[in-house]
Amino acid sequence: MPTQTTRRELLCRGVLAGGLGMAGATVLSPAEAAAATAAAPAPPSNVAVLGRLVRLELLILYAYQHVLASSLLSSSAQEVVATLRNQEQAHIHALSAALRVLGGTSPAGPANLAAADKDLSHRNVSQRLGQLRGGKDALRLLLAIEHVAEGAYYVAMSELSSPTLLRLGAEIMASEAQHATVLTVLLHPVDLTQAVPYGLVQGRR
Amino acid sequence: MVSPEKCASRRALLRGAGTTLAVGAFGVLAGCGSSSAGRASVKKVPLVVRQADVTIFNRSLYLERHAIAAYVAGIPLLNASEAKVAKQFLNQELEHAGELLGLIAAAGGKPIPRAPSYDLGHPRNAREVFALLHGLEGNQIATYLDAIPRLSPGPVRAAVASILANDAQHVSILRLELGDSPAPAAFVTGRE
Repeated sequence: MPTQTTRRELLCRGVLAGGLGMAGATVLSPAEAAAATAAAPAPPSNVAVLGRLVRLELLILYAYQHVLASSLLSSSAQEVVATLRNQEQAHIHALSAALRVLGGTSPAGPANLAAADKDLSHRNVSQRLGQLRGGKDALRLLLAIEHVAEGAYYVAMSELSSPTLLRLGAEIMASEAQHATVLTVLLHPVDLTQAVPYGLVQGRR
Repeated sequence: MVSPEKCASRRALLRGAGTTLAVGAFGVLAGCGSSSAGRASVKKVPLVVRQADVTIFNRSLYLERHAIAAYVAGIPLLNASEAKVAKQFLNQELEHAGELLGLIAAAGGKPIPRAPSYDLGHPRNAREVFALLHGLEGNQIATYLDAIPRLSPGPVRAAVASILANDAQHVSILRLELGDSPAPAAFVTGRE
C-alpha cells in the first residue's frame, strides 16, 4: 500500500487537474452527448460525492469499531475484522485528503450508537449495532454495510469527474468487495462459492 | 497446454458468452431503492457507449478470454471443492466477456477475434493453477483500473468497475487457496 504522503501527493497533483483531462482527448459527438444528457441528470460535484463517501466510510468505521469492542467475535475473526477496520481507516484518510484538496470539509461520523443505528436504518440495513446477538449477527451487519459501500462506489463511478478520483474510487470499491468476500468466508467457511455470488458487483442502495 | 477438446469446450462456452449480452451494462443507475444484497437496482435504459472506447473494451476482452482459457484448462487439476469454486469463477468471467461484448456492440464496434491459443505456462498442480489464475486476475484488475478514468459516460465506468470488483473478489479467494491474506491492501491495484 502506498504511504499516505505519496497518496496525498498524487491526489494534490491529480485532483486539481481533474475534470480537464477527464476521459482523455475523445469527446462525445453532439448526438451522443444529447442522448447521454437525456438519459441521465447532471452528476453531483466531486466535493459532494467525496463528502457522501467519507460520511459512509465513517459509519462503516464506527460499525467495525463497535463490533471489535463488543467481544462478540472469536479471536481469529477478531484479527481478520481488525485488518478490515484498518483498511477502512485508510480509505477515510485518502478520501478526506482528496476532499481537503478540493476545498471541502470532511463530514462528522456518527456521534453515538443511536445515530449510527439511525443511519444504518436510513441505508436500509436491517441489523442494528445496539441489538447484536452474537458473532454471526455482527458479521452479518458488517457484510450488509459492505454491500452498501459497494453500491455507493458503484454510483460514484458514474458521478466522479477526475481521473485520479475515479482510480481511487475504483481501488476502494474493489477493496470493499474483497471485504464482503472475506466476511462471507467467516460466515460460511465451508462453502467458498457463497463468498463471490455475483459476476457483477453493484452493491446495494 | 490447452488441448483441442478443451479449446472446443471453451469455444462452446464463449459462444454462450457472446449471446448473453450485457444485462448490467445496459442499465442506468436508479436513483433510489434497495435490492437484494450485492446487486444494485437498475433501470433498463439503453446506454450510450462511445466508439472511441472500443479499443479499451477489446483489450479487456482479450484478458477476459485469457483468464477463461486458464480456468477451463486448470479446473481438471483441482479437487472437487476447489473445482466447484473455479467453475463459478469461470462462469463469472464468461459473464464479464459477455458484458464487454455487449458494450462493444452498443458502440457499434467489432470485437477482436478469439486468439487461437493463450500462453498459460505449464501448471502441474492446484497450487500452480491458483498462482496462474491469481496473476491473470491481477492483470485484469490493473488493466481495468487504467481504463476506468478514460471511459465515458459514467454508467459505462460503473459497468466496468462492477467487473473489476468481482475480479478483486476472485483474487481474495485465490489468495486464500494459496495460503495468503485475502485482503492484503486497502487499495486494490492488482499488483498485490
